[in-house]
Amino acid sequence: MYAAIRSATLFGTRGTPITVEAHVGKGLPGFTVVGLPDEGCRESRDRVRAALLSSGFEWPLRRITINLAGGGERKGGAGMDLAIAVGLLVAEGIVPVDAAERCAFIAELGLDGSLRPTAGMAPLVDAVSQFEVVVAASAAAESMLARPSRLRPVTSLLELVEVLVDGTPWPNVAVPSAHVVVDAIADMADVRGQSSARLALEVAASGFHHMLMMGPPGAGKSMLARRLPGLLPRLTEDEAFTCAMVRSAAGMQVSSAIASSPPFRSPHHNISMAAMVGGGSGHIRPGELSLASNGVLFLDEMGEFPPTVLDSLRQPLEEGVVNISRAHSSVTMPARCLLVAATNPCPCGETSPLGCMCAIAIRQRYVRRFSGPLIDRFDIRIKLVKPSTAELTGGTAGESSVVIAERVARVHQLSIQRQGCLNSAIPADLLDEVAPLSRDAMSWLRDRLDEGRLSGRGYHRVRRVARTLADMNGAEIVVNTEWVEAAFGMRVPITPTIERH
Amino acid sequence: MANRYPEWTYSAALAALPLQTPLRLRRLITLDTPSHVWDMLQAGERPLVGINDAVWRAWHGVDASLLVSTAEACIDSSMTVVSMRDAPYPPSLLGDPSAPGVLFMIGDAGAFSNRRVGIIGTRHATQRGKYFAQLLGKQLSAVGVSVVSGLARGIDVESHVGALSLSSEEGSPPIAIVASGLDMVYPPEHERIWGEMGRRGLLISESPPGTAPEPHRFPMRNRILAALSEVLVVVESRATGGSMITVREAMKRDITVLAVPGAPGIAPCEGTNNLLRDGCGPVTDVTDVLVALGLDHRHMTDWCEGRPALQDDERQVMTALGRVPRSMDEISLDASLSVVNVAVILGRLEAKGWVANTHGWWEALVA
Repeated sequence: MYAAIRSATLFGTRGTPITVEAHVGKGLPGFTVVGLPDEGCRESRDRVRAALLSSGFEWPLRRITINLAGGGERKGGAGMDLAIAVGLLVAEGIVPVDAAERCAFIAELGLDGSLRPTAGMAPLVDAVSQFEVVVAASAAAESMLARPSRLRPVTSLLELVEVLVDGTPWPNVAVPSAHVVVDAIADMADVRGQSSARLALEVAASGFHHMLMMGPPGAGKSMLARRLPGLLPRLTEDEAFTCAMVRSAAGMQVSSAIASSPPFRSPHHNISMAAMVGGGSGHIRPGELSLASNGVLFLDEMGEFPPTVLDSLRQPLEEGVVNISRAHSSVTMPARCLLVAATNPCPCGETSPLGCMCAIAIRQRYVRRFSGPLIDRFDIRIKLVKPSTAELTGGTAGESSVVIAERVARVHQLSIQRQGCLNSAIPADLLDEVAPLSRDAMSWLRDRLDEGRLSGRGYHRVRRVARTLADMNGAEIVVNTEWVEAAFGMRVPITPTIERH
Repeated sequence: MANRYPEWTYSAALAALPLQTPLRLRRLITLDTPSHVWDMLQAGERPLVGINDAVWRAWHGVDASLLVSTAEACIDSSMTVVSMRDAPYPPSLLGDPSAPGVLFMIGDAGAFSNRRVGIIGTRHATQRGKYFAQLLGKQLSAVGVSVVSGLARGIDVESHVGALSLSSEEGSPPIAIVASGLDMVYPPEHERIWGEMGRRGLLISESPPGTAPEPHRFPMRNRILAALSEVLVVVESRATGGSMITVREAMKRDITVLAVPGAPGIAPCEGTNNLLRDGCGPVTDVTDVLVALGLDHRHMTDWCEGRPALQDDERQVMTALGRVPRSMDEISLDASLSVVNVAVILGRLEAKGWVANTHGWWEALVA
């Protein structure tokens, strides 16, 4: 008559255990799902019915009620299909209660009774990993990311029922255990010339400073950005697994070999706000911001992104997490990524030196699309020019990523030891302690403030970048003028100035 | 009919007639005194041939209110109006086949009797070009030459900024020929120097007050600019553009055209380099201009560099930078300095006024 079966549903990037209650009782024949199911969940009814019939079971012609118990939150996804089917079989007395109680069931049912993977297998399995977790055989590799102690991959409902009823051994499916592999990342050695951009990239990686590159097409903005993950330290095993879990939650294919390279996400500029920060109607999914967590989020042609999408990045970038709030629920997802953006300086995209003839008003309109507060988030703002042929063909190859990454790791270590966070995250009130300025440097910055070339917020940001530069060069605790000047030079104003006479 | 108004108001009103063109205006002005011409038009006469009916209808349709409003606008902006018949009209324009019939002026018409050098160039100039224009304007003004230019963005305004950087005692009054009415400041960011020009130099236009800066007026303005110059210096110009129109106008009038050599391959220098190839004299120094004017340059006081002196490492970067726009990477390669060092030194040089940066390209501000 009644059964309670364990399953899980996805909230953002995390799985939550839920109990699927099934009740088969007197009344007009009917099938209702209650407990705040979303549209996909409600479709379960038809899939479960077809799967049971295909597998040769009788469909009870009585009143069936399914309750998705656990919290007042909306539940989504097709991962509860199997739990509903097993619940009905237990309620009908076909499957013994104690056999079903040891397990949690996460799989979508096919109409023929086969088991299928659903989006977010890894976090779902993670939520119930203390039980025997029954999943589709095809989802086994992804499920192993959660490192469950007892994973039971099964191919069909019938096979599962045989195990539960007859006590036959679980089918033997070879499941590779998840492991981190060192994958290849594009190497900085491929970049010829561009020494100032290389430096900026290293500073960005060393201090985790957000970076904006302005330059004409062909200046190598995308090429450089793609190589930034290679400068960051490889992910630790925990970080790599967390990243893979987020990818799984976003419904992406995840294999058991997890890349140790920091993620690199480069969304196209037609992206919606929900796809960027996460959310979506009904079921909340992680966005690009969470997918890029621990890695690099690259916005190519930043000017083409809708301003609302860009501005929605501001707060998550500051806090390292993104909060999606709904009337019924609130979900927190990771958003600790290094933002790298690239934009043309003007619409014409002229590459020859000083060849641009765009009117000042047009140039201003072009960059006015970026809100001031967003631009302020970029500690590093550099202008790139197309390298000369001599630079591209001559000279020696640049340093390789491995060499730079070693230096970056050293700065990371140093800053964590000193202040417990990377340099871009130094709180303003701690700056005087961990990045004190020499007297010259202080007066130099004060002059820039007086000239109006530096804002109050910019003042702190320049000091953080100067700290990183000093760390990179093994300077002692006091930050002297050289680093402050260099940091200031890496913060070019992006709005063209009108020359008034 | 009794003439209640001074003669200049009729000149102004004729210039302000609807469908007026420089040629029609010149024909009207040469016909008779402006007041007589005005009376003829008011009486419905057609004193000229070859002018179509629509124009006559428009001209006959105006009444005395045009006369009054134009005159009031002139008085409000303290403009003086001179026709070809008046004494202050610049003699160098008198013999010109396409001279403007009427000139609107603010400032001291005495500037016409100075030696005059036109300094022109592109609106999208290099920083070095702007620096050179400013320096040239200042040095010419210091030796008593009036700088003639168009007050447009870029080279034009810089030459006037240079000329006006000297006090009235030290420098001679510059002359600006603009395309719009003198009460219509264009481009708007030049409002300050526009006013300054009227107070300390001479601001002239053939357009009556209230005329908008319509695109076709700029090439027409260029012919006056050329005609008023004894020598025309093109500091920087693209292969085609407004400066080239002025150059053609100057050549038609047998006016010496000089060009400032620029780096090859840089768009704002293409036109000037073409001029040099075609046989124009080069200008690398104010002396070249003075020689072309036939002035004695030997007693010129040496130019005093006002910017803070260069340190050793700064000189090293300046040398690597050379005379063409370069990227920081190229400078760092040539100067054999680290990028951080170059960035810091360039920052200092920029603060001292020795270099400037446009869209990531660095330029040395040296003549």
